[in-house]
Amino acid sequence: MTKKVINKSDISKLLIDANNEYNVYVPMEHIGGDVLFSALSKEKNSLEEDVKRINLASEKTFNSPKEIFYPQLETMMEYNDKGEIKETVESSKKLVFGVRPCDFHAIAHQDNFFSKNYEDKYYLSRRENSLIVIIGCNTPPRPEACFCTSVGTGPFLTEGFDIQLVDLDDYYLVEIGNEKGADFIKKHEKYFSDPYRDEIKHAERKKLEAEEKINLKVNFNKALQIMKTEEIPQDNLERIAERCIECGACVYVCPTCTCFDVFDDVKCGEGVRCRIWDTCVFSGYTREASGHNPGAKKEFRAARRYEHKLKYDTLETGISGCIGCGRCLHSCPVDIGMSNFIKEITTNQKYH
Amino acid sequence: MKNDYIPYPAVIESIITESFDTKTFRVKFTDKKIADNFSYVQGQFMQISLMGTGEAPISISSSPSRKGFLEFSIRSVGKLTKKIHELKVREKMFIRGPYGKGHFPFEEIKGKNLIFVAGGIGLPPLRSLINLIMDNRKDFENVKILYGCKTADEFCFKDELKAWNKIPNTEVLLTVDKKTDDWTGRVGVVTELWKDADIKSDNAVAFLCGPPIMIKFVVQKLEGSGFSDKNIIMTLERHMKCGIGKCGHCNVGDKFICVDGPVFTCAEVKKFPKKDGAM
Ligand SMILES: Cc1cc2nc3c(=O)[nH]c(=O)nc-3n(C[C@H](O)[C@H](O)[C@H](O)COP(=O)(O)OP(=O)(O)OC[C@H]3O[C@@H](n4cnc5c(N)ncnc54)[C@H](O)[C@@H]3O)c2cc1C
Ligand code: SF4
Ligand code: SF4
Ligand code: FES
Repeated sequence: MTKKVINKSDISKLLIDANNEYNVYVPMEHIGGDVLFSALSKEKNSLEEDVKRINLASEKTFNSPKEIFYPQLETMMEYNDKGEIKETVESSKKLVFGVRPCDFHAIAHQDNFFSKNYEDKYYLSRRENSLIVIIGCNTPPRPEACFCTSVGTGPFLTEGFDIQLVDLDDYYLVEIGNEKGADFIKKHEKYFSDPYRDEIKHAERKKLEAEEKINLKVNFNKALQIMKTEEIPQDNLERIAERCIECGACVYVCPTCTCFDVFDDVKCGEGVRCRIWDTCVFSGYTREASGHNPGAKKEFRAARRYEHKLKYDTLETGISGCIGCGRCLHSCPVDIGMSNFIKEITTNQKYH
Repeated sequence: MKNDYIPYPAVIESIITESFDTKTFRVKFTDKKIADNFSYVQGQFMQISLMGTGEAPISISSSPSRKGFLEFSIRSVGKLTKKIHELKVREKMFIRGPYGKGHFPFEEIKGKNLIFVAGGIGLPPLRSLINLIMDNRKDFENVKILYGCKTADEFCFKDELKAWNKIPNTEVLLTVDKKTDDWTGRVGVVTELWKDADIKSDNAVAFLCGPPIMIKFVVQKLEGSGFSDKNIIMTLERHMKCGIGKCGHCNVGDKFICVDGPVFTCAEVKKFPKKDGAM
């Protein structure tokens, strides 16, 4: 694999350059201190301000890059009272900079989901012209919740990526994973130089240290095995249902959740049809027009989320729908979360 | 890349008022190219839109043997379906589809005795298959159609019910839950028809569509009459938003009712996780 280095102080210059060709999405600090993936402005003055807010070192990137390709709210088509319908698809060139390794696995999951059976033109168009730059996690972004080593999705990628950065304090070691990545580096070669042997060794050491810093360990394979063949024990489901307040936080932050609702909005004879994230933990999710609701029971709704990710996704693709990012636990006001669920079922007396 | 979410205009050619809350709309795509390339199979459904109001899954109630148009029999229950009921001939609705890999068998059931059991708005999807069979009547043995509604003014396809009943070896049995003055026929839930219908499982396949509670009791009855799970075929309903396996709403176990169904055998339905409320 070809490797380069880039000085951290050159990153903003690189991104400003790239902003001419791409829409650049990068973790940026917002009012209140939240760090969220946001697009750099195309306007010169605002761009200067935006660049100051870039925060790659932050362990706080709250959202996953999911919404860049699958926005929480997106217009699907416009129409007017003459009966004309116009589809609204977006397919700009995108550079998504600073994606964490687990989230890259989530993107692969989304790619598969949105292209199987029927192709989802909205997702696939947004995703089509994108270049993704990974930053491996020297320290876990959510120290109490990340469990990527148990799933095998981090804290660094070994293959499949366009470009992966390893944080070496003042520099990044740049690993180039494919031709797409190589083309980008070549185009901006003035910012990159060849690494010294010490830097490569340093990076390998950092990767090993990073693994040791993922403290939360769960028996993920055992959980997959149990889910494959067994029903979730009723006592586990009831304990979740008792506590869950149905806020939906876990599903909204999850980088692999895909469900949506569709609605129409009209003003003065012109209108839009939009889709908006929806979730299986809400009781109205399965309510039919007759009032009949097959998903009425809370513990069954809770089960659906775990079964979908751990059982059905795994049975279908061989890869679990949970990538171990820990966001669900991190966001849950009552401490439910995937890792706790896994701990509960793998330690349930029933399976000893 | 095709955008499967975009519906196409279809003009209404005729409207039949079936009952106090149900109308059948006969429509045709306005674009000739789309119309020419369109085909469907009995038991499939389409997503029907009024732009600005919304979209809903509706079964195709016409038979694929009758070409050049599509029929939808729609009960007015809410926001969209009420608006659809206000439409007049020559006005347009927007449709996309057809959807559902799981549809009713046809070739496979030739030479068999057929039993249809419908409750309320469950008859439209079955009607597609029933008329397909009536158009190929000699290929099939006995046909029995058992149809129950809450009250007599709920029955759909009244003329067709009479016409089917006149076809040799074809019997239509009706029942209502609640008797009204204008009703002189049978009273009782649809399973009560077993008394009169002489239901036998020999060389027979049963097709059902109706509310979940009806499905449950009818399956018990059919099993009591000796039907095996694979010879009981039903069409399921779920809240649906996309019809193409993406929005997630119709998910049951590892299946999406919209893509993998909506028609399943009872054997398949029994494999669905109980907690997803399939049966
Ligand atoms: C595969 C399939 C095939 C179908 N085929 C047909 C068919 O051939 N013919 C047919 O008529 N229908 C059919 N349906 C059902 C049809 O899709 C629904 O009736 C339709 O979606 C209703 O849409 P609406 O906008 O009119 O109702 P909505 O406005 O969405 O709601 C309908 C009713 O639900 C009520 N409701 C909403 N929220 C609540 C709540 N919180 N508590 C209680 N009630 C609530 C509303 O008040 C309203 O009365 C089919 C469904 C499926 C899945
Ligand atoms: S289920 Fe939780 S840990 Fe797994 S991918 Fe979703 S948010 Fe991350
Ligand atoms: S975040 Fe926690 S409380 Fe909220 S819906 Fe998810 S599991 Fe329930
Ligand atoms: S209706 Fe959207 S997934 Fe089935």
